[in-house]
Amino acid sequence: MSLYDATAHAFALLFSGDAALWRIIWVSLKTSMVGLLLATPPAVLLGYAIAMHRFPGRRVAIWLAQCTLSLPTVLIGLLLYLLLSRRGPLGPLEWLFSQSGIIAGQFLVGLPVLLALTLAAVQALDARYAETARALGASRWRVMATVLHEARYGVMAAVISGFGRVISEVGCALMVGGNIEGETRTITTAIALETSKGEFAQGIALGIVLVALALLMNGALMLLQGEAHTAGGRV
Amino acid sequence: MTVLLTVHGLKKRHGERLLFDIDELSIDAASAYVLTGANGVGKSTLLRVLAGLDTAQVASASFEGKPVTLHPYPQALRRTIVYVHQHPIMFSTSVARNIAYGLAARGEAKARIAQVVDEAMEWAGVTYLAGTDPARLSGGEKQRVALARARVLQPRLLLLDEPTANLDGAAREQVIALIPTLMEQGTTVVMACHDRDLIGLPGVRRLKLRDGHLEYRSNKGQPQGEPDETP
Repeated sequence: MSLYDATAHAFALLFSGDAALWRIIWVSLKTSMVGLLLATPPAVLLGYAIAMHRFPGRRVAIWLAQCTLSLPTVLIGLLLYLLLSRRGPLGPLEWLFSQSGIIAGQFLVGLPVLLALTLAAVQALDARYAETARALGASRWRVMATVLHEARYGVMAAVISGFGRVISEVGCALMVGGNIEGETRTITTAIALETSKGEFAQGIALGIVLVALALLMNGALMLLQGEAHTAGGRV
Repeated sequence: MTVLLTVHGLKKRHGERLLFDIDELSIDAASAYVLTGANGVGKSTLLRVLAGLDTAQVASASFEGKPVTLHPYPQALRRTIVYVHQHPIMFSTSVARNIAYGLAARGEAKARIAQVVDEAMEWAGVTYLAGTDPARLSGGEKQRVALARARVLQPRLLLLDEPTANLDGAAREQVIALIPTLMEQGTTVVMACHDRDLIGLPGVRRLKLRDGHLEYRSNKGQPQGEPDETP
């Protein structure tokens, strides 16, 4: 099948409402969004806390947070597999080869990116924001809300990157989810499987969806951010 | 005159270097002070320590006669001492919301906040800027908004770090004109500055930080035989 034929077939699949295809998209979206929603609050809190406070071992914490960015997702998948396997400490949860398992994986895959980028965004912020808030009598929580609001472009970038990482990762979802049709097959694991079978049309269709999702998510987050300032001034 | 704040044995080091070693710092209530001294002598750091934004070694401190610590900084001081940066930073919301920030943090009712903020904007001459994005303000406007933002909290002690630095002409004069009116509401004002017009304001007492020590000076004429070349 030529690339042209495969692409034409891909669009046909997308617009014909192919149930299997849309099920894969739904599983992907659901696990990614839930994983990201669960990972965002602790990651942002932890990133903020490390950026704002002095404590022994802070430099090591920053170093480790940055190192986790380069952690391969298959390694996270392997660790999670061992934890969730029948003999593992989390075996009784019975999350292996289930959507819950994939969500746990997405949580672990998204957390480091969210944490490291939030940490960087808060660290880069002018210290006078937090000082002014404190000097005006703000509570710890209000100082945090103010600082995160001022660092919102960086925090949004962290969320965008976190979404990009969880929706596009394949290693962890494959190992922990098992690529079970209709249940744990995600966009990326399906692309890998279909390509290995020489079935390019579904792979291309899912690839188009993945790109469309990336565009939509980034567009929505940009709208939330409001008018971004230009680093080069107003000229 | 009632003593507002007293600090004994106040030492600040930057690494090995001793920035200042002040035996006693005493600030009277409802008074105004200028804190002068050469660049790098530690004026800003001293104000920041008093505002709980920097740490220092303190033997003892008392506020309105009650013993206090400066580190950790008690909430009681946070509510009564307000510090304004040399280059005030504005939160990315409207000018009016910036001024309302501290009142909202204290949980004041919305109606009262609106009324107090309106008065403060009028006082600072920034009513026309109420809905403006603070990123578009000039240096003088920012300083006046920052003063209004501090004033609405009716602090017992207001610490101003070089309030007229980098301002000139009308912007500088507008800021200088606001300072005496701050004192009228019973607020003690301590200003770190080089500005001769601020130093010369009537009723303003002078503290000079030199060689790490604090000198109390009379504003009317200098100590005999000692010309004061460095403001």
